[in-house]
Amino acid sequence: MKVNVLGILFFVIGILFGCRQESNETVSTVVKEGREVEKRLYPLPIDSLIGNLKNAHNDQVIVVAHRGDWRNAPENSLQAIENCIAMGVDMVEIDIRETKDGQLILMHDETIDRTTTGTGKVKELTWAYLQTLYLRDGIGHEIHHKIPTLKEALELCKDNILVNLDKSYTIFNKCYEIIKQTGTENQVVIKGAIPYDQVKKEFGSYLDNVFFMPIVRLHQPDSRTVVDDYLSRLQPVAFEFTVPQDTLKMIEYFDDIRQQGSSVWVNALWPHHNGGHDDEKAALNPEIYDWFIENHIDIIQTDRPQLLLDYLRARNLHY
Amino acid sequence: MKKYLPFTVWALCFALVGQAQEISRTDTILAHLQNPSQDYVLAVSHRGDWRYAPENSLPAIQRCIDLGVDIVEIDVRLTKDGHLVAMHDTTVDRTTNGSGKVSELTLEEIKSLRLKNACGVRGSRIQVPTLEEVMQLTKDKIMVNLDKVEGETVREVYQVLEKTGTVQQAIFKGRETVAFMRAKYGSLLDSIIYMPILIDNTKNPSRFVEEYNRELSPLAYEVTFASETSENYKQILKLKEQDIFVLHIALWDALVAGHTDEMSLLEGPDASWGWLIANGANGIMTDRPKALLAYLQNKGLRNNTTDWKK
Repeated sequence: MKVNVLGILFFVIGILFGCRQESNETVSTVVKEGREVEKRLYPLPIDSLIGNLKNAHNDQVIVVAHRGDWRNAPENSLQAIENCIAMGVDMVEIDIRETKDGQLILMHDETIDRTTTGTGKVKELTWAYLQTLYLRDGIGHEIHHKIPTLKEALELCKDNILVNLDKSYTIFNKCYEIIKQTGTENQVVIKGAIPYDQVKKEFGSYLDNVFFMPIVRLHQPDSRTVVDDYLSRLQPVAFEFTVPQDTLKMIEYFDDIRQQGSSVWVNALWPHHNGGHDDEKAALNPEIYDWFIENHIDIIQTDRPQLLLDYLRARNLHY
Repeated sequence: MKKYLPFTVWALCFALVGQAQEISRTDTILAHLQNPSQDYVLAVSHRGDWRYAPENSLPAIQRCIDLGVDIVEIDVRLTKDGHLVAMHDTTVDRTTNGSGKVSELTLEEIKSLRLKNACGVRGSRIQVPTLEEVMQLTKDKIMVNLDKVEGETVREVYQVLEKTGTVQQAIFKGRETVAFMRAKYGSLLDSIIYMPILIDNTKNPSRFVEEYNRELSPLAYEVTFASETSENYKQILKLKEQDIFVLHIALWDALVAGHTDEMSLLEGPDASWGWLIANGANGIMTDRPKALLAYLQNKGLRNNTTDWKK
C-alpha cells in the first residue's frame, strides 16, 4: 500500500516536472530495486537546461560529465550518456573523431587500442571495421557496448541533455551536418583556446547557430585582454578558464564576468585546472567544491558527476 | 547441520566474547566462510572498487571497506628487489604513468609512479601500494583475496602477513594441484587460508577436488564454468553436500555461463546474481560491489552483518 501511495505521489511529481519518461512504470521498477526514486525524475525539459546555460545570473550550477559516466559504462559510449541523463547531469562532454571513410564517431584517443577490442588509428580505419569491435570497460575488459557514431549520440542527447563536442573544431563542418540532421543545434557547445578574431574568421558561420565557448588560460599575461575582447564583441554564454594556481588575480574577475552576462566554466578534473581543488580531493572531502561556489564558478566539468550533484543538491544549487 | 548454522555462528561469536576479545569484522567474515549459509552471501570486490578509484589502490580498497564489502580481491606481484606490490598486469604500463615490467623495477622506481584512473588519465596523486600497506589498511576491517600469488610467491606473502598480524585475514588461491602445492610449500599450507580454483583447463576437476579435500580440507573453492554442462559446474553440488563455501566470479561470460554483472544491468539482477545464488554461490566476485550489496540486502541475504559489527 505504501508503495502504491509513493508511486502515485511520484507519478504526479513526474507530470509536474514535465518528465518524459513513463513515470508509472519507471517508479515501480525503482521501488522494486530499492533505489532513490527522485533520481528518475530527470531529465528536465531541454528548454530549462538551455535557459540555465544562457543565464549567468542565477545560482544554479551546471554539471558537465567528462566522457559521460565512464565509471559505470565505457567512456564515450551511449550507455555512459544515458547514465548521465538518468542522473540529472546537465551536459555531457564527448570526443569526436573522423574515420578514414568519413564517419564521425565517439573516441577519445587517436588510436582505438585502449578503449576497444581493435587496434590502429581512427583516421586509418574504416567504419565497416570499427563496427565489428566492442568497447572495453575501465579495467580493459571487453564489454557488449559498441563504438557509437556522432549521429547516434546526438539522437540520444536530443531534448535530454546538452552536449559539448570535444576535438571537433577542425572537423566542425562535418559535425554540423549531423547536428542539423538531428535538430540539436541549440544543445551543442563547442570550445576553443583561440582569440575572437580567429574564431570569427574560421568559425563565423556557426557562431549564431551553436554555443561557442572560449577557453582562456588564466596564467597567460594577456588573459584579461582576451576576455574583454570576447565580452564586448561576442558575449559568449560562458568562458572556460584554466586555473593552475588559486592565487591568480584573474579569479577575482569571475564575479564581474558573470555580471556582464557570461557564465564561468572551470574543470574539476585535475589539480592544474583549479589550483588543486579537484575531484580526487573532493572524493575525500566534498567541501573541496566550496572553492568553485565561493569564486562564482557556475559551470563545472567533473569526473565525479554523482558526487558533485549530491554536493550541489544539498545546497540548493542544482534542481 | 545447515539449520543450526545461525546458532553455530552466534556460538562462535559468544565464545570469542567470552575470551574478552573484541570481535572484528574479519572474524565474522571468516565465520561466514567456515559456515556457508543460505542466509548470507559474501560480496567480493574485484581489484577494489575500481570504478571509484584506480584498481588495486588504497582508496579503491578503502571504498570497499566503507561500502561493507566482505572480501577485496587484490593482485600481488614481486618487484626486482623483492618487495610485494599490488599490480594486476606484469607491466606497469596500463595502470600507471610509467612503463616496464614489475619484475624489472625496484620498489623505489614503482613508488615514483602515479596510478591512472579508469579513463586512462594520468593525473592522480595515488601511488602503487605495497602488500604491507594493503594489509595495514585492511586489518580487522575486510578480508583480502590474493591473486597472482598462486604457487609462486606464497612464502614472500606469508612473511608480510605474519609481520602485519593478518595471516587469518588473507585468502590465498591457485590452480595448481594439492600435490604440487604440498611438495613446494609443505606444512606452510596448513598455516594459511587456501582456496583452490577450478578453472576452465583444470584437468579432471573431480579428482582435483577430492585430492584437495583429502589432503588440505580447504574451506572454500573458487569455481568457474563456461556452461552448465561443464565438469566444473558438476563439482558445485558435491561441494555443497560437504558444506564447503563456493565462490562464483560474475565478471565475464565464460566464468559463470553468462550470468555476469553486466547481465544484471541488461536483464535484472535476478537473472544473473540471483541465478548464481540459486546455483550454489556462497560468495560472488563482482565489478559492481555497491549494486551487488544493495541486491543482497534487498533479498535478505545480508541480515546478520549489522548485528556482528563491533
